[in-house]
Amino acid sequence: MSKLVVFLFLALIPLLPLLCNSFSPEKPSDRRVLVLLDDFAIKSSHSSFFKPLQSRGFDLDFKLADDPKISLQRYGQYLYDALILFCPTIERFGGSIDAAAILDFVDSGHDLIVAADSNASDLIREIATECGVDFDEDPAAMVVDHSGYAVSATEGDHTLIASDDFIKSDVILGSKKIEAPVLFQGIGHSLNPSNSLVLKVLSASPSAYSANPKSKLTSPPSLTGSSISLVSVVQARNDARILISGSLSMFSNRFFRSGVQKAGSPVKHEKSGNERFLTELSKWVFHERGHLKAVNVQHHKIGEADEPAIYRINDDLEYSVDVYEWSGTSWEPYVADDVQVQFYMMSPYVLKTLSTDGKGRFFTSFKVPDVYGVFQFKVEYQRLGYTSLSLSKQIPVRPFRHNEYERFIPAAYPYYGAAFSMVRISFSRIFAFVFLSLN
Amino acid sequence: MARSTSKDAQDLFRALWSAYSATPTNLKIIDLYVMFAVFTALIQVVYMALVGSFPFNSFLSGVLSCVGTAVLAVCLRIQVNKENKEFKDLAPERAFADFVLCNLVLHLVIMNFLG
Repeated sequence: MSKLVVFLFLALIPLLPLLCNSFSPEKPSDRRVLVLLDDFAIKSSHSSFFKPLQSRGFDLDFKLADDPKISLQRYGQYLYDALILFCPTIERFGGSIDAAAILDFVDSGHDLIVAADSNASDLIREIATECGVDFDEDPAAMVVDHSGYAVSATEGDHTLIASDDFIKSDVILGSKKIEAPVLFQGIGHSLNPSNSLVLKVLSASPSAYSANPKSKLTSPPSLTGSSISLVSVVQARNDARILISGSLSMFSNRFFRSGVQKAGSPVKHEKSGNERFLTELSKWVFHERGHLKAVNVQHHKIGEADEPAIYRINDDLEYSVDVYEWSGTSWEPYVADDVQVQFYMMSPYVLKTLSTDGKGRFFTSFKVPDVYGVFQFKVEYQRLGYTSLSLSKQIPVRPFRHNEYERFIPAAYPYYGAAFSMVRISFSRIFAFVFLSLN
Repeated sequence: MARSTSKDAQDLFRALWSAYSATPTNLKIIDLYVMFAVFTALIQVVYMALVGSFPFNSFLSGVLSCVGTAVLAVCLRIQVNKENKEFKDLAPERAFADFVLCNLVLHLVIMNFLG
């Protein structure tokens, strides 16, 4: 009987890759998303954010944050590709999840969306701090802006901000400009200056500050002006992406649908920019945009097709690589004019910008430098919003073989002549002597 | 001391030449041979200064073959000179055999280093 169990187990091993088809390099978009909520009312009050995700093919799994049965992984395999934390007040997650488990989830290349709010719990703050984002320490603080607020029916509430200070990046926010300002109501944060990976996507206006709106302002606020970030993103070195927002309500149906008019501006938009902004941002976070892959690295001598095992100094060679961008459904050719290749040994001896044919193929040709040693073809491509490409391929370069030099060098003919004339006169002397002595 | 004139120089050279004329013919031939080698070496140095030192091994072997030949010829001249008492026990045939052997070695090395 036990033999039969072992046999069945062995028979199932080849099927394991099929069972864990999450986040494969072939299809980098996330599929299974765990959504942790404070209470299930958020599921309906924020449905305008969730519905488009589901229609784009995401499998959303809604759970209460303190549900004792939630877990991120089972038997060492992650059950989800991404995590949405819409639970700003949670003090302790249910089940086995804690801040370290969430950071491990990110460290293994998975994505995360965190929405905080004023009165955000220490747990949410801790996760944000680990991601390079420091929320205002005053728990009751909100971002207040007396000149950039959104005009509403109840005058005097300047915590509802209309911001249109977006990051200038087509890959993060989509190529179409977001016209309407984004409504925001919540806590502001600042970026940790020592973290170079975190980016301000939506920043507050220069007149904003972060303070408790219900109490009188006695001391200067700790966060002021456009150094306040409202929404930030992180792309980790393992390509995991994180979105951190200081407002849960900016994801809500109410903010999605409401019109917006920025104070001091005559234009009244029928619909706020929240839906566009957050849809585009979620596409980026869930790897439906800005995910690059490089395949088919080739190099060969000009005029030959095969890749040599070694180059000679001063050889002319061609290098090519195919770069594609994931569009959410398929790999599309990546088009850019700033991809560069290095021919590298301790330092780049050759640095060339690759030309592209618009079909994803990047190519260039150059001459191997007059230096021999072990070189590398290196492509280091890091651009804002795109996953980084880092390719390197080792190739040795040898000097000329002794029979690859010219046999006779024209410039050396006088030297040849001198040497041979010396031989000639020496031997004519010898022959003359022998001849004379014989007679 | 009287001022030297071109006449003095002419006298000097004439005296030198008449003294040299007494040299045996075989030594004169060796002198000619040495002068030819040194002159060839000089031409090569001038050529190198004009054209550059590119096939440097060729340049070295060309010049050194001339210099080597000249040195060996001078050695031969010292040994076969009748007036030189230092080598009076050495037969001129023996000196010439040394010269031939050294020339062979020299030109073998030069030919290898030339190209």
